Amino acid sequence: MAKYDVVVIGGGSTGTAVARDCAMRGLKTLLLERDDIASATTGTCAGMISSGLKYMDEPDIVDMCSDEVVYFKRIARHIIEKNPILTPLLEMSDISSGGNFAEEYSKRAETRDVPPVLFLTPEDSLKIEPMLNPDLIASLYFEEYFIDPFALCMLQALDAKQHGADIKTYCEVTDILTKKGSITGVQYFNRITDKMESVKTKAIINAAGPWAHKIAALAGAKLELRLNKGAHVILDRRVVNVGVITKAIEGRMIYLFPHENTVLLGTTALDTWEDPDTLVASQDEIEYLLKSMEWVIPSIRDARIIRTMEGVRPLVPTWKIPEGDVTRGYEVIDHEPEGVSGLISFTGGKLVVCRHMAKAATDLVCKNLGVEAECKTHIEPLPGNSDDVDILALAKEYGVSQHTVERMRARRGSETATILELTRNHPEWKTTICTCEPVIEAELRYAIRETFPQTLNDLRRRVRLGTGPCQGTFCTFKAASILAEELELSGADFQLEIVDFLAERWKGKRQSIRGEQIAQEELAQGIYACVGNLDQALEELDYDLKPWEEVL
Amino acid sequence: MDLEADIVVIGGGMAGLVAGIRATEEGMKTILLRKGQSATAYSSGAIDVIGYLPGGTVPLGSPVEGLQGIASMFPFHPYGLLGFTDAESGTVSKTIVEKVRTAVSWLKTTLLSSNMPLFGDIDSNLDAVTVLGTVKPTCMIQETMWPGSLMLDADSVALFAGVRGLPIFNPRMAAQVFLEHQISNRLPPRKAGYHVLDLAPFGNNHNISSIEIARYLDNEDNLSVLAKTLKKQADRIGATHIALPPVLGFNRARENQLALQDLTGAYAFELLSFPPSVPGLRLQRGLETAFVKGGGTLLVGHHAEMDSPKSSIVKEVTAVGPKRNFKISTKAVILATGKFIGGGITGTENGIRESVFDLMTVSESFRIATSAIPQKLTNTIALSHMGHPLFGSGLSVDPQFRPITKEDFHAAENLYAAGSILAGYNYPAEKSGLGVAIVTGYMASRNAVDHVKGVSA
Ligand SMILES: Cc1cc2nc3c(=O)[nH]c(=O)nc-3n(C[C@H](O)[C@H](O)[C@H](O)COP(=O)(O)OP(=O)(O)OC[C@H]3O[C@@H](n4cnc5c(N)ncnc54)[C@H](O)[C@@H]3O)c2cc1C
Ligand SMILES: Cc1cc2nc3c(=O)[nH]c(=O)nc-3n(C[C@H](O)[C@H](O)[C@H](O)COP(=O)(O)OP(=O)(O)OC[C@H]3O[C@@H](n4cnc5c(N)ncnc54)[C@H](O)[C@@H]3O)c2cc1C
Repeated sequence: MAKYDVVVIGGGSTGTAVARDCAMRGLKTLLLERDDIASATTGTCAGMISSGLKYMDEPDIVDMCSDEVVYFKRIARHIIEKNPILTPLLEMSDISSGGNFAEEYSKRAETRDVPPVLFLTPEDSLKIEPMLNPDLIASLYFEEYFIDPFALCMLQALDAKQHGADIKTYCEVTDILTKKGSITGVQYFNRITDKMESVKTKAIINAAGPWAHKIAALAGAKLELRLNKGAHVILDRRVVNVGVITKAIEGRMIYLFPHENTVLLGTTALDTWEDPDTLVASQDEIEYLLKSMEWVIPSIRDARIIRTMEGVRPLVPTWKIPEGDVTRGYEVIDHEPEGVSGLISFTGGKLVVCRHMAKAATDLVCKNLGVEAECKTHIEPLPGNSDDVDILALAKEYGVSQHTVERMRARRGSETATILELTRNHPEWKTTICTCEPVIEAELRYAIRETFPQTLNDLRRRVRLGTGPCQGTFCTFKAASILAEELELSGADFQLEIVDFLAERWKGKRQSIRGEQIAQEELAQGIYACVGNLDQALEELDYDLKPWEEVL
Repeated sequence: MDLEADIVVIGGGMAGLVAGIRATEEGMKTILLRKGQSATAYSSGAIDVIGYLPGGTVPLGSPVEGLQGIASMFPFHPYGLLGFTDAESGTVSKTIVEKVRTAVSWLKTTLLSSNMPLFGDIDSNLDAVTVLGTVKPTCMIQETMWPGSLMLDADSVALFAGVRGLPIFNPRMAAQVFLEHQISNRLPPRKAGYHVLDLAPFGNNHNISSIEIARYLDNEDNLSVLAKTLKKQADRIGATHIALPPVLGFNRARENQLALQDLTGAYAFELLSFPPSVPGLRLQRGLETAFVKGGGTLLVGHHAEMDSPKSSIVKEVTAVGPKRNFKISTKAVILATGKFIGGGITGTENGIRESVFDLMTVSESFRIATSAIPQKLTNTIALSHMGHPLFGSGLSVDPQFRPITKEDFHAAENLYAAGSILAGYNYPAEKSGLGVAIVTGYMASRNAVDHVKGVSA
């Protein structure tokens, strides 16, 4: 049986950051993820690595976030974007909600390489963002950084791997083995080999996000979380070119962020007891967000809603206060005092502090194991960390459009040239497979070979396949055949990949379906059901209903 | 400027064009407005009549069998409506079958005269092969798409041949899917291979579309290179049949098919494909040619605008064009504006609406849908034989194919509807899209013509 120093459970932002830190400190590390990297909460988050607009009452955390932004700028330049943000004020009462924000933000602005908060006149505000409601009386201007959450997790996992960690996706932890109050190993079901497997380990770090309490329970430990659902609505174009933050109907703050070729409208906050895997955004959440944003962006409903996206925040368990008042900090819990030694869990936290969380947990494990090693995760860069890719030159050299190369650079950083080089022997790999994004065949082949996707959905997370307005209508079957070739899938599995991918896309499309998106869906049904006849193949293919499809 | 017509057809997909061609054949002065692209042009070009009963999972051996089932179980299905005019219940199913037969055979004859021979009839469904390698039941296909004896002849061997840089078709996966399917159903062929051709049409080696190759092969000289490689590859595996993506040409498809057979010794055919679909475009063009040849007036890029028919008769339609608008006075109107793709039906958070006259819409099960939230008409499962009721929503019509109002009365005496704008059938699941469009277009046209003749008489 394989033996590890530490097993990390969960492959979200927290788990991958932990695995990276552990591996860099020389611990023999295994990461187990029941699905794919960043397939859960992290994949649904907005990716704002924020200055802490929402939690200015917690100066320590604001400091922590500020520092983390500086580190990200150092280690992950290619997956970071800086966006201007406006908070339009329609009435005087909107101002009071600003609190000490401007002051706190500006104090830390310089270290993060952003200007201090500015107050803009209506004219200047409209010059920056013409879509704003012209009745505004003023606006606050500031800047925030954003990171691609999928890419971050992927790079953390790959870097951990390069430092000797084993990363196993599609392995679901089913039991934690203990002996006399100490954990000794982990048992998991490997969904790729279809087998139960187990490993020995000295320590476990439970980074299972909103499932962390279930993992703790496997070891007989207790963990309390406050689970809170958040939904986003994704619109098909950059309705605005700067981020907009405003007060929602009941006074919470919500946002509209440009993200790649889309904008993200979010988020809601509802305490939840449902299985996170079954959650979808409700009609009420969609209308709540639209109605709230409509005041400041009156044309919001003209845009096409592509889909909704929802996740569950694993908050620190504080009760009888609104979600917004719960700390945005985190807790690292050593279960030793309750008689389970070797198990460490998290509550709370955010994407922006994942590295910080990892450091705290890894420090603790090192201490427990008597290992002395320094944390270097804030110094050593992640793979591809470079923004000086010469897009014009590459586009010209390989005969690929600048836009395509630019989008590739945003995903792959310094690997861009390596990918384009593949087209020398295979010029046909310059073919655009996903036109919305766009993604060319060479990048798909590269991502399949280098970043261990098992499914088309995994590939989506790696290259943003099928995430644009057409939601995979035209690229699903093309990409599936490339994946099937590379992984040597059977004909049945190739068809299953298509159906699984469409199922996952439908989950997000369905709740908000209206307007253009209905015609788009008719097209998809025309392709995959009417012509492809895949609707009739489900039984033959042994299609498993997805958690959100289960009709009882 | 003002125009005059006997019949105005709104919508230029299969339903509208069938209605228009029929009307001109009956001597009607016909003007057809087509706003933009139609689902018809996106189609694979295979003409489905009925492949599965609504909600069914067993492929129907023949459209006739399916129509009989619909006659007894789904009276409000557009096909079912065909039986309403005859009072005697015993003959309902026969009436339906005969009406469908008449319309479908008529189409076959009409397209033959525009140089587009079709294969098949309603007495049996054909197994058509798609670019995914899957097989689907359909009623009629363009001759170039008929797989011949591939699935009948015990000794057949298939070569799936793709084109490098044409992403719509992956011959390796298609061959694999097809072979697995045939073997599990104990059907020939027992062997299939694949090859990727280096065709580089017009010098392009990537981002190639089917349309580009079809244009390339419309030039006679370009076929021989292709044929040479195909022959070598077919010989390599002993292929009796060659499955190609649908790229054999817009004008020379049939000639190319025959020539390939000559040059390779194997039977070449085109697979059913996804948009942009050359056979779908061939169908669209073939129909438009027939309509114009028959004396019809085609106004492409013009959309109809109307107020809701306040009076019991529609006397005038406004055609809004890129440069100018026409007022067209008319004796009857056929509304064939399609579903969501065509734009005949739209859905917002406020309901499902008909876009020209704001007629009453209903769900697949005929509940009023004018203020239904689209999401409520969908299932959690993306792709299933039940489809989504949303795509079965549309207009409710009387047995003469006139849209009806809340009060169950026709919206206007001389307003007819045909094609996918109609409610009560789910074409992606049933495989009935073009068939319903043909038959309802044919019947709506007949009723409109009768009305006009009655009026003028
Ligand atoms: C709508 C929304 C917006 C947000 N926006 C932001 C933002 O802009 N900025 C920000 O900093 N934060 C944001 N957050 C918060 C942030 O997303 C989360 O705090 C963070 O991503 C949690 O990461 P995680 O790794 O702990 O959890 P997860 O990403 O959920 O990872 C846990 C992993 O554990 C796996 N797992 C569960 N059970 C098992 C098992 N038995 N065996 C193996 N694996 C298992 C799961 O599959 C999952 O992948 C947002 C959250 C939400 C919901
Ligand atoms: C991808 C796909 C593949 C398919 N494959 C097949 C297949 O293989 N076999 C099969 O049988 N069926 C197939 N179908 C279904 C089939 O294409 C449709 O059911 C059929 O074409 C509907 O025809 P229609 O004439 O009713 O509508 P459409 O073809 O959509 O035509 C509607 C027309 O109305 C026009 N229009 C709309 N509003 C106005 C206005 N206000 N004024 C003027 N014009 C207007 C539109 O521009 C369009 O020309 C497929 C569908 C899709 C989406």
